[in-house]
Amino acid sequence: MVRRVLALPSARIAVAVLAVIAVLAALGPLLAPQDPLATSDNTLAAASGAHWLGTDYLGRDVLSRLLDGSRVSVLGSLEVALTALLVGVVPGILSVYLGRAFEWITLRLADTLVALPFLLFAVAVVALLGNGITQAMLVTGVLVSPLFYRVSRAATLAVARSQYVEAAIVSGASLGWVVRRHVWAKVLPPIAVALAQTVGVGFVIVSSLTFLGIGVQPPDPTWGGLLASDLGYLSHRPWAPLTPALLIVVTVWACNLLADAVRDVSGEAGRALLNNRRARANRLDKADPAPAGGA
Amino acid sequence: MPVRPHRRAVRACPLRRTTTSRGAAHRPGFRARGPGTAGALDERIEMYGRPTPQRPGPKLPTANLRSPHRRRLRAAALGTALATILVPALSACGGDTAAASGNATLKWTSSYFPTHWDPVVGGSGAQFRELALVYASLTRTDESGKAVPDLAKSWEYNAKGDQITFHLRPGLKFSDGEPVDAAAVKAAIERAKTQKNSALFGDLTSIKSVTANGLDAVVQLSQVDYQIPQLLGERVLQITSPKAAKSPEKLDQNPVGAGPFVVTQIVPGTKAVLKKNPDYWDAENIHIDNVELTSAPDASTVVSGLQTGVYNFADIRPSQADAAKKAGLDVFVQPGFNASNISLNINKAPFDNDKVVDAVRHAINRQEFVDKLTFGYGEVTDQPFPKGYVAYDPASENAYAYDPAKSKQLLTEAGYKSGAIKLNLVIPAEDPQAEIVQSQLAKVGITVTIKIDKNWSTPFFAKDLTFSLYGTTGRDSAVQTLTAHFGPNGPLNLSSPYEPAGFEAAVAKVRQTPLDSPDYTTVLQAATRAGLRSKALVFTYSQPNLIAKSKSISGLPKNPAHIDWTGVTIGGS
Repeated sequence: MVRRVLALPSARIAVAVLAVIAVLAALGPLLAPQDPLATSDNTLAAASGAHWLGTDYLGRDVLSRLLDGSRVSVLGSLEVALTALLVGVVPGILSVYLGRAFEWITLRLADTLVALPFLLFAVAVVALLGNGITQAMLVTGVLVSPLFYRVSRAATLAVARSQYVEAAIVSGASLGWVVRRHVWAKVLPPIAVALAQTVGVGFVIVSSLTFLGIGVQPPDPTWGGLLASDLGYLSHRPWAPLTPALLIVVTVWACNLLADAVRDVSGEAGRALLNNRRARANRLDKADPAPAGGA
Repeated sequence: MPVRPHRRAVRACPLRRTTTSRGAAHRPGFRARGPGTAGALDERIEMYGRPTPQRPGPKLPTANLRSPHRRRLRAAALGTALATILVPALSACGGDTAAASGNATLKWTSSYFPTHWDPVVGGSGAQFRELALVYASLTRTDESGKAVPDLAKSWEYNAKGDQITFHLRPGLKFSDGEPVDAAAVKAAIERAKTQKNSALFGDLTSIKSVTANGLDAVVQLSQVDYQIPQLLGERVLQITSPKAAKSPEKLDQNPVGAGPFVVTQIVPGTKAVLKKNPDYWDAENIHIDNVELTSAPDASTVVSGLQTGVYNFADIRPSQADAAKKAGLDVFVQPGFNASNISLNINKAPFDNDKVVDAVRHAINRQEFVDKLTFGYGEVTDQPFPKGYVAYDPASENAYAYDPAKSKQLLTEAGYKSGAIKLNLVIPAEDPQAEIVQSQLAKVGITVTIKIDKNWSTPFFAKDLTFSLYGTTGRDSAVQTLTAHFGPNGPLNLSSPYEPAGFEAAVAKVRQTPLDSPDYTTVLQAATRAGLRSKALVFTYSQPNLIAKSKSISGLPKNPAHIDWTGVTIGGS
């Protein structure tokens, strides 16, 4: 699967971008050239040799703050995606097998969660549980979990009713064995697509919440927070919002690109796509003469 | 002067209307707490002059034009981005209307739009300035801050000083037709003293009773108090029509006063449309025909709104001053009494140790606040009064100079190693002030963690916090300012019931001194000095009342902490 995804150039770009972001998240605080919290008298300075991206309203180095802030954003979005995955996929698959009562209840629960506006809900929960990104992201994860529930349920339904699965059951296969052997492989690709996309959505959510000042305790830097504070000083540093905005956009774009790539290569259509590409590549390698028909 | 009957063509411009309602629709949705959450908690808040629930600002409003609403403003920013795109279209619309009607219209956008229109309930210093469009008071202040006649044409004390008689101007009416007489004054004072959600009763303790006698309101006092004319101005007694005030809930939505303007439309929390009141006692000096007061969108969009003519008057953040000047707007600082402070609770460790309190006092570099937060427009202050004001005590100036070495030494003497003191600085919303306090205290070895608590007002006014930030927009009566900060139950005194030794006696002496007495200044400054011994407050800086206006609006009277429209003209009217 991984090899098939990486066969696409768009996926390679996406993975490269995400790898850079992951490095920033892991090592950002160490890479920061200066203390991201150290204030100075040199406020709202333009980019210079000492401050590659200038300084903010309290004279702190913006580059250091961006690097330091990447961890919160990345962890936050992963938290959203993984929570949603866990909360959505398990009941999604089980809803097909565990009988009508369970099916009905989980379906209605998923409907309910879909109806709740997650950003507002995250704001409310932060007010209730205290101002922390972990609480906010956990709740957001639960609220976007219906996506995973629906995707995994739809995929499972298709498999569960198929003849070969029926045959396996008739031959005496246990439910667990069927899920592990047949269902899992069919369900995984759509879930991978949903996961990649949700990580992207998670970035947007983390950035929005931190933009609104939710879930961060100043002076801790975050991408969204930097963007928000930069907007307050536009007349002094008009280009400042570009960097955090660009980081957010590129990361989300890479996640979506990856999701697209995973979708493109999965299933029968994906196999066909890859085979076509391979066939064309072979043909080019052999340096065929130009088609006789002319162009 | 007859008032031309006119309808502002706001309604006739479909584009503008759409955008307005769109902005309104966005904002409430993002509020963490809606206006409906007022409960027992808010009664307490309002009693102490806190703004209102959905504006969890650390200070009485202007002192904090920037931070408290930041979250809401940011939310609004997300929503109003669209509105900004539409601005050119809007201004084209606005321009047409202005040309067509030829009226002088004030388009004022404010970051502290009134959350209550009942002056008894509001309690927020900055919002009273807007309520003063609708309501007049017994007295107003002149440019030196001294009480001068407003609805009352004169007043006099009895010989003992425990009774004052206000003589009202004859023939005045509220905008609902009720007469402005002593009975209305009596009703207003009694309502402020007794209404359940009154934010003002704490300020009226000197008043025992009021006798209405035609146009003479006789106020009996429970103690000799020469501050009453200063007190019964814009901040404490905006007079409402007694008929309208019978239903305070309705009044809160539909204000009825005897001020320079009459409300024609209010969209709660968003917009108020007013027109000139022809029956106002000083109507001949009001040259503005219409007022559109709106709640400001994100701070960074206000200047472009001013530039394109969507607004022509706005309070702005110091960070926007530069942009406003470049846009060709008039940028000025309206004098005021703003003073931000660091509040300490000396009933709790570590501030129960005087040396730690002194260490904090010496660790604060006030100039950094001025440089970084006010872009040079503000001033350092170590008192709740501006320099040059009668209550400002020059003898107390710089009593605790910035001296980090001394601060460290005091901490060592108190038995604390560097890093041993860890404090939570609890504030209601993101505020760069807190980050400055944090970094300054870190330099002397005190570790501060900033905690944002949406329900900040509850523990603050219950005096449960150890360490916080607050501020004042000031009051017209210096004594009121002093007791609010240093008195045992003052809303700004986090260490209640503590009060500095000798403060009570010093304040009583000021009350007993007539304002025109030659001793008044000395006595008042002595009271300030006594108050400043309070260990509960470290004053930092004075946030400027920074205003940007279109050049077509003439200069405002420089009445400190007020926005007075008397004599102000707008472009060619």
